[in-house]
Amino acid sequence: MQAPHAGASAPRRAAAARFAPSTLVDFVVVGSGAAGGIVAKELSTRGFTVVVLEQGPRMAPEQFEHDEFRYFFQSALSNDSKTQPQSGNASVGYHRLVGGGSVMFTANYWRLHPIDFDERSRVGAIPGANLADWPIRYADLEPYYTKAEWELGVSGAPGPFDPPRSRPYPLPPLPIKGSGVLFERGARAIGLHPQAAPMCILSRPYQGRNSCQNCGYCGGFGCEHQAKSSTLFTVIPIAEATGRCEVRAGCYARKIETDERGRATGVIYFDAAKVEHLQRAKAVVLCCNGAETPRLLLMSASSRFRDGLANSSGYVGKHLMFNGDVGTTGVYEHEINDWKGPMVTRMNWDFYDSDPARGFYGGGGMDGRYWGYPLLFAFDGLPPGSPSWGAEFKRKLRHNYSRTMNIDCHSTSLPVETNRIELDPQLKDAWGLPAMKVTYRDHPDDLATMRFLAGKALEIHEAAGAVTKWAPPRFEQNGGVHLLGTCRMGNDPATSVVDRFHRTHDVRNLFLCDGSSMVTGGRGQPTATIQALAYRAGEHIARFARRGEI
Amino acid sequence: MLDRRGFLTAAGAGLGAAFLRARPEHLQASLTRAEEARLAVARGAPPPPLEVFTPEQAADIEAIAAQIVPTDDLPGAREARVVAFIDHSLATWASDRRQAMVDGLAAFNTAAARRYSGVQRFAQLTNDQQLEFLRASDQGPFFQEVRGAVLVGLFSHPANGGNFEKAGYRILGFDDRYIWQPPFGWYDDKANGGPN
Repeated sequence: MQAPHAGASAPRRAAAARFAPSTLVDFVVVGSGAAGGIVAKELSTRGFTVVVLEQGPRMAPEQFEHDEFRYFFQSALSNDSKTQPQSGNASVGYHRLVGGGSVMFTANYWRLHPIDFDERSRVGAIPGANLADWPIRYADLEPYYTKAEWELGVSGAPGPFDPPRSRPYPLPPLPIKGSGVLFERGARAIGLHPQAAPMCILSRPYQGRNSCQNCGYCGGFGCEHQAKSSTLFTVIPIAEATGRCEVRAGCYARKIETDERGRATGVIYFDAAKVEHLQRAKAVVLCCNGAETPRLLLMSASSRFRDGLANSSGYVGKHLMFNGDVGTTGVYEHEINDWKGPMVTRMNWDFYDSDPARGFYGGGGMDGRYWGYPLLFAFDGLPPGSPSWGAEFKRKLRHNYSRTMNIDCHSTSLPVETNRIELDPQLKDAWGLPAMKVTYRDHPDDLATMRFLAGKALEIHEAAGAVTKWAPPRFEQNGGVHLLGTCRMGNDPATSVVDRFHRTHDVRNLFLCDGSSMVTGGRGQPTATIQALAYRAGEHIARFARRGEI
Repeated sequence: MLDRRGFLTAAGAGLGAAFLRARPEHLQASLTRAEEARLAVARGAPPPPLEVFTPEQAADIEAIAAQIVPTDDLPGAREARVVAFIDHSLATWASDRRQAMVDGLAAFNTAAARRYSGVQRFAQLTNDQQLEFLRASDQGPFFQEVRGAVLVGLFSHPANGGNFEKAGYRILGFDDRYIWQPPFGWYDDKANGGPN
């Protein structure tokens, strides 16, 4: 447990509930991130008692540092390869702290579009993939996207390819930065339609929180000004203020306990001292992320559920989707100084839809953005073929750092059955639990989409006047941080893990809600969808509980 | 949601990164000591004494570091006190790399002595000899690990014990003020109300 901290949320935290693990609470929620924080708020504000288990620490705003060495290289607030090793041909990254990835993400906040929900019906089967329609449609989720944008605080402006929305953005766009100006200029010049990027960052003071101070440290960092609308600074304090919700930090879940009737009875976890406890609960909601949720289900195998809990379909852990991601880089004549301000201010959706004329399935979006922080830039920021040491290396670092920007391409990942999370049969983590094995190989159409978008991004750089520009030599992905699709939602228990309300088909009082629920991965930037799903799930789970249907 | 480029760059930084993965339980103590050392230096105290390297080893590492990021009109690895950062790292959170670094340096010096008569160590070479020798050995694991450590010592947050007087930030033109108002640069000047 972390000591209570000073800061804006301290008075609210004073009211937070404390439960003994032996107390039978209404819900235990595993994971306090983008989804878990919202589910906890939705349940506790409707009168239910909730314990949230979070493996990482609780951070006060003033504890967030601009230290990429600690955060990126030392895994100070993310899964650590030393204590949480992984096997397989790819690796996954996620954050571990109260608020999870919602505290640390770049804050791109894209809604899905209607086609993301029924693309299987529109484009048909694709060889080598298990593409499926969602059991819900965009219209089912739209009110919850709106709720997320208004309750959390999102900045943006309408664009020509936007999906329908019932309310405008609550806040105007963040100020444009150099990468946004150049992206806009280049995109317009080649006939595209750039627009303000929707960002989960406050452009104006909102609900007692300050607006963005343009520090430049969004992606991978927490916001000391609380201007990034993470669950840590929005819904979690609301949940705690009910007096019915306890967020228990430093707790590493190892098993969902079930009884002889096959119902969940609680969650076994290690506290920060690695002492084991069982938190008893009437129902369990997993919001761990698309890698740890399937891992916890697989670790919860029992004589009754030999292949893992909620896995009668065999789908748990399968169809992992990372989203395609290609960064193209340009160096420009004048100083952009893109190390100031939020990472992204302009994006485009001209190529969102799949187009049969391209000859392959897939689509995506692009954005103009900051290349990255000083240390990462020193390792990897110079054009291919640049010297890696010496006077010329130093001269290039000095000249390029303020003149470099990226156009990043974000795109579809087809659900491929063999892309998956499994338990490694030998390797253990620092708690003695089976390590995660990650297998990932981009579908050929995903690679074709990445190649197509990278070509367009280079055209934009060219049209914007880049002096030098390049794309990475290879597009194959061997790691990801968008962890999607591994416990897919569906109507048929034979081909999905949860139903349209996030209830597992196999265990009546076990619910899953995070990136794992997503049937398709959209075109990148999944957080808005994960949070809309969480608002919707919380509302429905509370309804079931009230009616005695759990 | 972890910034993808950061995640993948850190994961893919190669041999340099072997040095960079701390044992987390050592990190906090290390940072505290680095902060104390930083404050002592700010009060006018000399750099902290060496913990791992002999003075000769430190001179060799500093000579390599100064070739990786040399001094010109701006400070380089030498002025950033990168050697003190590496030495302290090897004494604490990177202690599992200590033997490899010391052994690697010994082999590196042996190779230098074999190639240039009359010298025992890299630091004794002339500048041209150092450059020539490094060009022939810059793909080896020892050099790559030193390079990674030098970059961390030069360009990471000063709280980690390197980047003395923000030398690395000055090279990049990065200003760690962390509160800004637009316009930020040349291209957004007009959009944000300026003359460009």
